[in-house]
Amino acid sequence: MDTLFFWLLAAFAVMGSIGVIFQRNPMYSVVLLIVSFCALSGLYVLLGAPFVAAIQIIIYAGAIMVLFLFVVMLLNVGHEDALAGGMRAIGGAGPRRFGAVLSLVLLGELVWALSRLQGAPLAPRGGQAAASVGTIGLKLFRDYAFAFEATSVLILVAMVGAIVLARKERP
Amino acid sequence: MIARFFNTLAGWGVTAELVAHLLIIVVVFFILQGMAAVLVYMERKVAAFVQQRYGPYLVGPRGLMQPLADIVKLMFKEELRPKAADTVLFYVAPLLSATAAFAAFSVVPFGADTDFSWLVKYSGLSSVLSWFGVTFTGLAQPIHLAAADVDIGLLVIFAITSMGVYGIVLAGWSSNSKYSLLGGLRSSAQMISYELSYGLSFAAVIMLAGSLSLREIVDMQGGYWFHAIPKWFLFLQPVGFLIFLIAGVAETNRAPFDFPEAEQELVAGYHTEYSSLSFSLFFLAEYVNMVTVSAVATDLFLGGWHGPFPLPAGFEWIWFVVKVFALLFFYIWMRWTLPRYRYDQLMEFGWKYLLPVAVINLLVTAGVVVTMGW
Repeated sequence: MDTLFFWLLAAFAVMGSIGVIFQRNPMYSVVLLIVSFCALSGLYVLLGAPFVAAIQIIIYAGAIMVLFLFVVMLLNVGHEDALAGGMRAIGGAGPRRFGAVLSLVLLGELVWALSRLQGAPLAPRGGQAAASVGTIGLKLFRDYAFAFEATSVLILVAMVGAIVLARKERP
Repeated sequence: MIARFFNTLAGWGVTAELVAHLLIIVVVFFILQGMAAVLVYMERKVAAFVQQRYGPYLVGPRGLMQPLADIVKLMFKEELRPKAADTVLFYVAPLLSATAAFAAFSVVPFGADTDFSWLVKYSGLSSVLSWFGVTFTGLAQPIHLAAADVDIGLLVIFAITSMGVYGIVLAGWSSNSKYSLLGGLRSSAQMISYELSYGLSFAAVIMLAGSLSLREIVDMQGGYWFHAIPKWFLFLQPVGFLIFLIAGVAETNRAPFDFPEAEQELVAGYHTEYSSLSFSLFFLAEYVNMVTVSAVATDLFLGGWHGPFPLPAGFEWIWFVVKVFALLFFYIWMRWTLPRYRYDQLMEFGWKYLLPVAVINLLVTAGVVVTMGW
């Protein structure tokens, strides 16, 4: 049963991600990305980490993708090609080659990392309890408190930066 | 013959618990659907009462068959789709809305654990079964009265409601109409803004209960203070309850916060271009969402199935139903009493008043929980 669900969810996740890249309509890309996130969340449930699954949906599929959708709707980009004028800078031959090299590096890293996983258990170490809300909270605020706080500062910096960039100087 | 049939089923691993669980899921689904009809009638009658009219009274006794007539009328209308609309998303959007609405209720517990002996006893089921030579007086062990009992139920509800936004946003975009788009944009902005206060009012209760499971939160509210006042979180979290109610109205897009479908400004908002059954799916989703918000409020703040006085074992869910209907009445009452806000007022209220109050409420609760060691 679990195997069946795994393949189903994995298929959704992979097909969704492929769809995101190959869709010409940015609206469809966003929707497919949401499908992919939801499938990932399902995989987390199968791995015995329901909390991570719920957070995945609330933060990624819920909050962040709504903002994506918002931007796409407000810009009203009907088709990716409509952006061609402004996108030429990153659509040229040079950046494309650079991107190709980067993706190959990423592929190599993934193969290396996944090959090390051979035979590793799929469930969280320490069983179900290790994935519980309490354990994650303790880890986050005790063992990784510095990293956690640093991340929040990083996000704050990004937010302030966005406001500074978007703000029009009033005389 | 019947007895042999049951024995064969048991041989396949079909236990009475499994059947009961499947039945609960089916019953919850159909009751939720039926609730839409009940609420349509209730809404029209309460609206009529508030406005000193009669309301529906022609179809059936006291107009009770009116929702049925409404549904039949909707079913026989023509399904229209604007030529410029996006075909796929135009049809996916209402499905998404309705699915999210139903899915959110699946983790809401609505009664104490039960073995259904009361149902078997009072419905005469056991005598019917014994006539066929089958003895059944109730399940061997009590099961939870919820479609799905999840440890992190509250987070699941939060996650699924955040998915419900997409139905509205995609409907607004795919219709390719300016009113729909404006309605969709407004609703997403509104839901994002009020989701924060909504979540923070949850968080205060989670702190008090120390659990994310709705069933455990309800169980903590059993019993009485001074043998008289039920131990509801309402009395510990009055501010949280108020925030939850207000944010809940905004989340379900009901008046006085019904901007996504403000008639005077946007025709009908995000569902302007929808007709027939796809329109009715949005309609259904709105009412089911109302039921879910009321049910969650009941479980979180009003003690779920724990009432001011205990009911006989097995009938605790009656308290739950009574409280949910009281809250639903409150929602309908609000809609027909209060005028709609201005859009900027809505945003200002959400960000400048509701959110700070919710944060302070959370901080005070956290302080009390830590110092008093709740």
